Amino acid sequence: MRLNLVLELLDVPGQLLDALDPIGKLGANIVAVIHQRDVKTERGTIPVHISIEGDEETLKRVLKSIEEMNIQIIEVDGVVMKEKITTILIGNIVDQDLRETVNVLNSIEGVRVADLNLKMSDNPEESASRIVIEADYGRKKDLMENIKEYGNSKGFLVINEI
Amino acid sequence: MVKFGLFNIKTKFNLLLFGGSFMKLCIIGFGAVGMGVSKVVSMKREMLIEKYGLDISIVAVTDRSGAAINPNGLDIELLLEIKDKTGKIANYPEFGVSDISGVQVLDDVDYDCLVEVTPTNIEDGEPARTHMLKAMKDGKNVVTSNKGPLSLNFHELLEAADSTNAHFRYEASVGGAMPIINFSHETLAGNKITSVQGILNGTCNYILSRMANEGSPYLQTLNEAQELGIAETDPTQDVEGIDAACKIVILANSVLNRDVSLKDVKMEGITRITPESIALAKKEGLLIKLIGEASYDNLEVSPRLVREGSPFAVDGTLNVATLKTDLADDVTVAGKGAGSIETASAILSDIVSIWKARS
Repeated sequence: MRLNLVLELLDVPGQLLDALDPIGKLGANIVAVIHQRDVKTERGTIPVHISIEGDEETLKRVLKSIEEMNIQIIEVDGVVMKEKITTILIGNIVDQDLRETVNVLNSIEGVRVADLNLKMSDNPEESASRIVIEADYGRKKDLMENIKEYGNSKGFLVINEI
Repeated sequence: MVKFGLFNIKTKFNLLLFGGSFMKLCIIGFGAVGMGVSKVVSMKREMLIEKYGLDISIVAVTDRSGAAINPNGLDIELLLEIKDKTGKIANYPEFGVSDISGVQVLDDVDYDCLVEVTPTNIEDGEPARTHMLKAMKDGKNVVTSNKGPLSLNFHELLEAADSTNAHFRYEASVGGAMPIINFSHETLAGNKITSVQGILNGTCNYILSRMANEGSPYLQTLNEAQELGIAETDPTQDVEGIDAACKIVILANSVLNRDVSLKDVKMEGITRITPESIALAKKEGLLIKLIGEASYDNLEVSPRLVREGSPFAVDGTLNVATLKTDLADDVTVAGKGAGSIETASAILSDIVSIWKARS
């Protein structure tokens, strides 16, 4: 059987090769690769279209290994899978226990905090954190409202994407 | 000389064609915008006559000190000189009047179009609201840049203008020279506009751009902006998002045909933005901008993340807005959001539109 994937790769040398490497090793055939470096996603990454062939078990193993490499699969056979949401919180991260915020987000089904960055300020009130969330497609708008509501209730200034 | 002669013939022809009438302006409020309007009327005088057969005559100008009134037209150079030197328009020789209210001027003077450019008052919209309603009830056309009454009493003003078939135009109230109000109604006519998102306050955008470029803290950047005259001594209306919220109300009422007022807007300004948060955003290729949003289910002004390289990633005092439409998809406009001549440009275009509609 054949599987059409859209992967999201960083625009750095070697990314494409790394992504393709396990496909062959696991026994699947690469039918086509469309890699246009000048077409970028909103996030500045490159969507790479890959068609692979193999038996069902092999293809499953390939998908698993791609996920393990932390490469985002944005589409499988034309179905959009995930979207990424970045949000920034300003406020006293230490006092307000940011871990709780992350836990609250992770507890929502289909939502995962993928990245968390902190920048502390001399004045704790002015510290900032950037949270990158991966969510099932179509959840973005609701999720941004949820984050805003939750963040505001803890006294954070929440800065969402436009 | 030859050219001058030809111009005169054409002018006379145009004046004959359009009955040779003047358009008499009454300018209430003579601050930066009022003075800008006078300047552009003077600058563009010949062009307006030649192109549109429109000979604008400023018959009255008021400020806090009083007014200068001349039914045969005031001398614009002299107006600007008197205001510049003495700060009081009432000192205008021969035709200067002290202690006269705007309403009284509107009663006394024969004019065709009111240019209402008094300072914005977001508490009750006064005295601009009274001036505009009075002019409209008297069947006079009104052009304004004044956000106060537009964001508090929009439909009242619209109805008053309709009741006497007066023209009411307010392009300059949102985004200065950035075309958006008339653009939505005229150029995008036939489209259904579902939302407007934009950077609607040049001062905030200047401060956030500087913070992003230099990593400087908010207060220091604000102080610098104040020294440069970009931020006002009392920056509250800008930095708390009130000014942008007024514009969102005007857009919601005018472009989306909603019936809303300033209290309906969720508002968060830029005072809590820190260099740390901007640095974190930058690492992801994002910028923090103060964004106003008007749609059928949301009225909001808040700091938002925008992608570097996107239409919203503009620096300095520029304004930019994206309109979502059903036929034309997304349409983005940009332009200088403030400035005396830039704002006067929008006012002049409204005056010309009224003139065209009339003739």
